[in-house]
Amino acid sequence: MRPILSNKCFFCHGPSEKSRKANLRLDKKDHAFDERNGVAAFAIKNLNKSEAWHRITSQDEDDVMPPPEFKKELTAEEIETLRQWIEQGAKWEDHWAFNPVIRPSPPKNSLPHWIRNPIDQFVLKTLEELNLSPSPEADKRTLVRRLYFDLTGLPPRPGEIDSFVLDHSPHAYEKVVDHLLRSDAYAERMTLVWMDAARYGDTSVFHDDGPRDMWPWRDWVLNAYRNNMSFDQFTIEQLAGDLLPDASVDQKIASGFNRNHATTDEGGAIAEEFRVEYVVDRVKTTSNVWMGLTMECAQCHSHKYDPISQEEYFQFFAFYNNNADSGMQTRSGNAEPMVEIVSPERKASLAKAERKVAGFTKEMKSRRGMVMDSFLAWSKETTTSYDGNLSAPEPEDLIAHLPLDEFEENVTKDLIRPPQGCLLKGKAKPIRLAKFGGGIKIEGRGFVEVRDFGNFESNQSFSFGAWVKIPRDNLTGAVLGKMDVENKHRGYDLWLEGGRPGVHLIHEWPSNAIKVVAREKIKPNQWNHLFVTYNGTAKAGGVRIYVNGKNQGKISAEDSLTKSIRTKKPLHVGGRSTSSFVKGTAIDEVRFYDRNLSPKEVGILAQSDPIGPILGIPENNRTQSQKETLLTHFLESQDEPYQKIKELKTKADKELESLRKERVTSMIMADNPANKERKTYLLMRGQYSAPDKSKEISADTPSFLPPMRKNLPKNRLGLAKWLMDENHPLTARVTVNRYWQTIFGQPLVSTPGDFGAQGSSPTHPDLLNWLAYDFRESKWNVKRMIKQLVMSSTYRQSSIVRPVHRKKDPENLYYSRASRFRLMGEFVRDNALFVSGLLNQTFGGPGVRTYQPPGLWNEVALRPVVKFVRDDGDKLYRRSMYTYWKRSAPHPGLMAFDAPTRETCTLQRQRTNTPMQALVTLNDEQFVEAARAFAQRILQSGRKSISGKIDWAFQCATGRSADSLRLEVLKNAHHHHLEIFEKEPDRAQELLAIGESPRDASISQAEHATWTILGSMILNLDETMNRE
Amino acid sequence: MIGLGARGLGALGAASLLNPDLLEGGSNPDALRLSGSLETPHFKPTAKRIIYLFLSGGPSHIDLYDYHPKMREIHGIELPDSVRNGQRITGMTSGQESFPCVAPMFEFSRHGPSGSWFSDAIPEIAGIAEEITLVKSVHTEAINHDPAITAINTGSQQPGKPSMGAWLDWGIGSPNKDLPGYVVMISKGKGNAQALYDRLWGSGFLPSKHQGVKFRSAGDPVLYLSNPNGVSREMRRNMLDGISRINLAKKSETGDLEIDARIAQYEMAYRMQTSVPELVDLRDEPQHVLDLYGEDALEKGTFAHNCLIARRLSERGVPFIQLFHRGWDQHNNLPKQIRGQTKDVDQAAAALVKDLKQRGLLKDTIVICGGEFGRTIYSQGKLTKDNHGRDHHGRCFSMWMAGGGFKAGFEYGKTDDFAYNIVENPVHVNDLNATVLRALGIDHERFTYKYLGLDQRLTGVEHPKVISDLLA
Repeated sequence: MRPILSNKCFFCHGPSEKSRKANLRLDKKDHAFDERNGVAAFAIKNLNKSEAWHRITSQDEDDVMPPPEFKKELTAEEIETLRQWIEQGAKWEDHWAFNPVIRPSPPKNSLPHWIRNPIDQFVLKTLEELNLSPSPEADKRTLVRRLYFDLTGLPPRPGEIDSFVLDHSPHAYEKVVDHLLRSDAYAERMTLVWMDAARYGDTSVFHDDGPRDMWPWRDWVLNAYRNNMSFDQFTIEQLAGDLLPDASVDQKIASGFNRNHATTDEGGAIAEEFRVEYVVDRVKTTSNVWMGLTMECAQCHSHKYDPISQEEYFQFFAFYNNNADSGMQTRSGNAEPMVEIVSPERKASLAKAERKVAGFTKEMKSRRGMVMDSFLAWSKETTTSYDGNLSAPEPEDLIAHLPLDEFEENVTKDLIRPPQGCLLKGKAKPIRLAKFGGGIKIEGRGFVEVRDFGNFESNQSFSFGAWVKIPRDNLTGAVLGKMDVENKHRGYDLWLEGGRPGVHLIHEWPSNAIKVVAREKIKPNQWNHLFVTYNGTAKAGGVRIYVNGKNQGKISAEDSLTKSIRTKKPLHVGGRSTSSFVKGTAIDEVRFYDRNLSPKEVGILAQSDPIGPILGIPENNRTQSQKETLLTHFLESQDEPYQKIKELKTKADKELESLRKERVTSMIMADNPANKERKTYLLMRGQYSAPDKSKEISADTPSFLPPMRKNLPKNRLGLAKWLMDENHPLTARVTVNRYWQTIFGQPLVSTPGDFGAQGSSPTHPDLLNWLAYDFRESKWNVKRMIKQLVMSSTYRQSSIVRPVHRKKDPENLYYSRASRFRLMGEFVRDNALFVSGLLNQTFGGPGVRTYQPPGLWNEVALRPVVKFVRDDGDKLYRRSMYTYWKRSAPHPGLMAFDAPTRETCTLQRQRTNTPMQALVTLNDEQFVEAARAFAQRILQSGRKSISGKIDWAFQCATGRSADSLRLEVLKNAHHHHLEIFEKEPDRAQELLAIGESPRDASISQAEHATWTILGSMILNLDETMNRE
Repeated sequence: MIGLGARGLGALGAASLLNPDLLEGGSNPDALRLSGSLETPHFKPTAKRIIYLFLSGGPSHIDLYDYHPKMREIHGIELPDSVRNGQRITGMTSGQESFPCVAPMFEFSRHGPSGSWFSDAIPEIAGIAEEITLVKSVHTEAINHDPAITAINTGSQQPGKPSMGAWLDWGIGSPNKDLPGYVVMISKGKGNAQALYDRLWGSGFLPSKHQGVKFRSAGDPVLYLSNPNGVSREMRRNMLDGISRINLAKKSETGDLEIDARIAQYEMAYRMQTSVPELVDLRDEPQHVLDLYGEDALEKGTFAHNCLIARRLSERGVPFIQLFHRGWDQHNNLPKQIRGQTKDVDQAAAALVKDLKQRGLLKDTIVICGGEFGRTIYSQGKLTKDNHGRDHHGRCFSMWMAGGGFKAGFEYGKTDDFAYNIVENPVHVNDLNATVLRALGIDHERFTYKYLGLDQRLTGVEHPKVISDLLA
C-alpha cells in the first residue's frame, strides 16, 4: 500500500509543505485517518467512509484523484490493493527503512540439511512460500571459478581448480575463500566498486577536465580493504579523517573521498556558484552512499516523498559548508588543500639534494670571505684604470634593489633590506644570464613577491624601474605592479600596453586614476631599461616614462586622481595582484627610489654598466650594497674557484628543483578555521545567489532520524560518527545491500541509492535486517560479512535455469538458483590478460594509459596540448581498475561494457549486451594481443595434440574441459585458418604484429596466427565472459 | 531513392536498411509502433527523426539572426543599466571597465515570408528562410560553456543525466537494426574552440547501450569496427559461426536466454562492419549533390561531409543524428572568426535541408541548428573600427528548426533593441526540448525513467511547456 501512496499521492499529500494540497498528508498515520469536518481520508474497514476511496474511484474529472492533469493515474491493480487494504483493517506501517534495525530470528525450514547459515534460512523461507526449491550445488569447477571472480575479479588457474576439485576435506571450500580474502586482488575488486560510489577520476571533469592526482586516495582504499579496516573506521576517515585528533597523513588522504567530485577552472565561472555546487555534490554523495537517501531532492524545496524539509537539507549542507577548498579550482594538477606524500626514500633523496645545495651555498659564501685581499687589489686597480667619464655617482635614496642574481629556495634578496626575502612564486623561474648576472623569466602566472614595501601615497614622489626583455613587440602586461585588481585596481604599476610602456596610479579605475602611456613601442628580444619617475602631484603631467634613459613622448588617457593609491597587496615583479602577468618576459635589476629622480640620474641608471658608476665612487664613499655588487661582479668575472662552485651549485639547484617537481600530493578535505567559519543560510530555490539571510542555519541531521549524540561535535566528524551510530536505521542496511549486490550480482533492495519512500522494497526484508544487525554487531567487519555471503548454500547453488524458474522467478529475485551474468567490463579485460599470461599484477599506484584508438582526447579537448600519450611495457597490462580515467573521454572499451563516467556517484552498474562490446573483444588491439599471447601459451603448454591444446585452453578460459562439440568446432576452425595462413603468410605476419609484447619467433607464424584466431574465439565465448 | 545507387542497395543487402514506411508517410498503422521502451507514441508524431546541428561555443545571435536596425545607433554607447538590470555576467568581463555596445559588423537583409533578418555571413541559410522556424527567444540560466552545453543536451547543468539522443534511443528505438540509433559526428572550425564531453551524448543513468556512437573521420568510422590486420571477412564469418555454435550449446546447457541476445549482438556487429563503411562511402553520391553541400563535402571531418553522412543516416531511418561543430566562442576577433565558422556551416546546413526536402524526408525529419547560448551586445576587450569580441549571453539567443512538423517560414520570440532581454514569447532550452519531443509524438511529462527516487525527465524537474505555436 505504502509504495502506491508514495508514488501517486505523496507529491501533493506528502512531506512537502509547499506542494501540499488540502492540508492533507498521507505519509503520516494521524493525518491519513484523522477525521476533519466528519471526513477522513481512510476509515478502517469502511470503504464508504473513506474519502480517498471515493476520490480514487470517482468518474468525475473534477473529483478524481490523482487529478488527470497530473498524469499519475492509478492502475486497476493498485486500486484493488488499496480496496483490500482498507477492507482488511488498514494496518498502518511506517516506512520500513526508517524503522530501527532489529534482529529477526532466522525461520525454521523444511530442508535443514540445506542450511549452512542464517542467510539460507531466510532465503529458503521465501522459496517455500513461492513453492520453489533451491537448486543443487554447482559443480566444483563452476563454483570455484565463480568464487574467484566474485572475490577477486580474476579467474582461477587450472591448477587451482584441480586442487580444489581434488580436496575432499570438509573445509576445502572455506580454505579457498580465506585464501582469496587475503589476496591483493580481493582489495582491488572491492576498491573498484567503491571507486564508482566515490566518483573517482584522474581528471577534474568540468571545462578543461585537466589532470589531478587522487590515486594516493585510491591506494588508501586498497590498503583499507587489504587490511580489513572496519566499515566504521573506513567511513569516519573518509568523511572526516582530517578532523581526527592528530590526524595522520593517511587519514587526511582518506578524507579526499570528498575531493573526488567534479571541479571547474572555467575562466568565466562564478566561484561561489561552483563552491556551492561542490557542497551539493558532497551532500548528495554522502546521503546516497551511506543512507540511501536522495537528500538532493530537498535542495530547492522540501522533499516530496521523504520527510526532509528544505531547512533540514541546509542543516545537513552546513556540515560541508565550511569547506576550505575554493569554487575556482585548477586545470593542472591538484587544488588546495592537499597533502604531500613523502615516502622514506623520497625523504632521503630530498634531504641529500638539499644538503648538496646548502653545501655549495656555504662554499660560495666562504669563498666570498676568502678573496677580500685579491678583491681589494682588483678593485683598487680597476678604479684607478677606470676612465672617469661615468664618474657620476649612482643616485642616492635607493630604497629597494633586487639584483635577482641569487635564489635560495626560491627566495631572493633585496640588497637594501637584506633580511627581507622576496619569494619567487608560480610560473616564473630564475635565469642565469640576464642583463647583469642572473634575473628572472616570467612563464605564466608567476612573479617575485616583495612584501611590506612600496606602499606609496599619491602625494609622495617616487621612482622605479628595471631592465626588461620582452618576447614580442605587442606584449601587454605589468612588469611591476602593486595593485589590487579585485578592488577597482587600487595601486600603481609599470606596464606595457601592446608593447608601449605605461603607468597607472589608481584609486578607483577608471573614475579616480592616472594613466599615461608612451607613444613608442619598445623593441622586443633585447634588454631595455624601463624607468618611471613621479613627482607626487597626482597629475598625469607629473609622471615621466624613460626607455633606455630617454624620456618618452606620452599620451595621457586618464587624469582624475584625487585620492589614495595605497593598498596592502604586495608588490609583484612580473604582474599585478592576480592578473596581467608578462608571460615570456625576462626582468633584472629592480630599483626603487623614494624621490623623483632627475633625467640625468635616470640616464646613469640606464648605462649598461652597473659596475662603472660604482667604480666612479671613491672607495670609502661606496655604500654596503655597492660594495656587495662589486664583490659579486669580481667573483663572477675574475675568480675561477668561485665560478666553479657556482656552476656546481647551479647543477645541484636543478637537481633539487626537478626532484621537487616529482612531488606527489593528494587533495584532502579541510574546514576553515573558527575565526573564518562560513555561515550557512537556506538558499532559496536552491540557488547560490539567493541566501535567506534572515535566519542562520546550523549543522544538524534530519529530525526523522535518531538525533546526534550530545557529545558529538556538529561537524563532519560528528556527522560520520552519527552515520555509524548503532541506532541509525539506514547505514547498515544500505551497506550490506551493496555487499550483497557485489557478490550476488543484484541487490536485495533494487534501488541501492534510494531507501526512501520512492525506492524499492527489499525482496527479503528479514534477511536484510538480519544482515544489517549482524554487520553492526560484528563491529562492521567487512571480510567477515563477505565471507558469510559466499559461505551460504544460497550462494553455492547451480545457475542452470529450469523451466520452473522461468515461470515462477524469471529474474531470480528469490534465489532458487545462482545468477549467471556477464563479468564487469574491467574483469572481461582482466580475464583476457590473465588467461593470456600478460596481466601485470602490480598493486596500487597512479593510473595507466593503455591501448586506445588515437585522437579520442583531442577531438573533444579544450587544449590540444593535453594529449593522450600511451604508456609502454608492463603498464599496458595492469588490471583495468588502474586505467587512467579521463572523465570527459573515458576509455571507450570499458565504456562499451557499462563502466560509468564517474562524473557523479554510481551505486549500481547496468549490464547491457551490445554490438559495440563484440567489436571491442574481437578487434581491440588489447584483446587481439591477448589472443596472440594466449596462443603462445597454448602452443607452449606441452600438450601435443590439437585436441589436447584446445582442452588446455578451455580450462584456462572457462575452468572446464572442452567437450566433443567444442573440440569439433575449434578443430574445424584450426583446419580452416591454418590453410589460409599457410597460403597467405602475409596475413599471419600482420596479425602477429599486433600489440607491443614480443612473441616467441621460434613458433611458426602460420601456427601461431591460427591459434591466435582460436584464442580470440575462446576469449569471445559467452561462457568465458560470464560468471556462471 | 535518389542517391542510393545499385551498389548500395544490392551487393551489400542494404535494401533491408530502408524502412519502407519512411517514404510513404506512415499510412500503415503499424508504422506508429516504436522499438524502444515506449511501445507507441503518446500522440501522433509529425517527425520520426532528428538531425541536430549543434554549434558549440555560443554562436553570436546578434551577428547572425537577431538584428535590430537600432543597433546602428547604439553602437559605441555604454550598455545602459536599465538593460543589464543587474544581471550577472561571467568572470571574464565582470571586471571590465566599460561595456560599449557593438552593432554587428555584418550587413543584414530580410528573407522569407516573415521577413526575418539574416546576416550576410549566412546567405545560404537565408535562402532557406521559407523552410525554417526561427526562434529568437531561446534562453538558459547558464552563463558558461560547460554548464550551458550540458544543460541544453541533457536538461541539467550538472553531469549525470542522459543526453537527448540517449533518451530517444531508449524511448523510441530505431527501425534500423544494422546501424546505431544515435550517431554523433564532430567537426572543428578555425574559431576559438571549447571542449566537448562524452556526457553530451552519454547515457547517464540509462543503460549504456543508448549512448551516442561516434562516427569518426580518422581511423575506423566506428571505434573498433575493422577486423584486425590479417583477418578477412570470410575468416571472421568462420569465427563467428564457431562462436555461435558453442554459445548455442551453452544455452541449452544453462537455459540462459540472454545467450540469444549475445549471439544477435555479434551478428549485428558483423553487419555493422559492412553497413557503416557502405554508409560513409560517398562514391555513389552524384556530383550535383556533392556540389550542393559545397567543396568540403568529400573531405572527411568537415561539417559539410558530416551533413551529407547525416542525410544518408536519415535515409536509413536512424532517429537521432547529432553533429557538433566547434569553434564558436568569439571572445575576440569576432568578425573574422564568425566568417570562418559560417563558411564551414552555412552552405552545408542549407544544403542538408534542401536535400532532405527533395527526397521527401524533411516532412518527418527535424533539423535543429544552434548552440548553447548567444553572445553579449557589449564588446569584450577593445572595440576598434573593425574588430571586437563578445562574451557569453544566456538571456536570449537564436536557434532554428526545419521540417518534422515545425512551421515553415516562421519567426517566434522578440528581444529588445540590444538583443539582451526577451520582450516576447520566451522559450527556455527545456521548453524547446519538450517541443521537439512533442513533434516526435512524446509527452515529455510522461517520458520518464525512475532513478534515485524520481521520475526523471529529459526536460528536468521544473515545468517546461510545449510551445505549440512552433508546430504546424
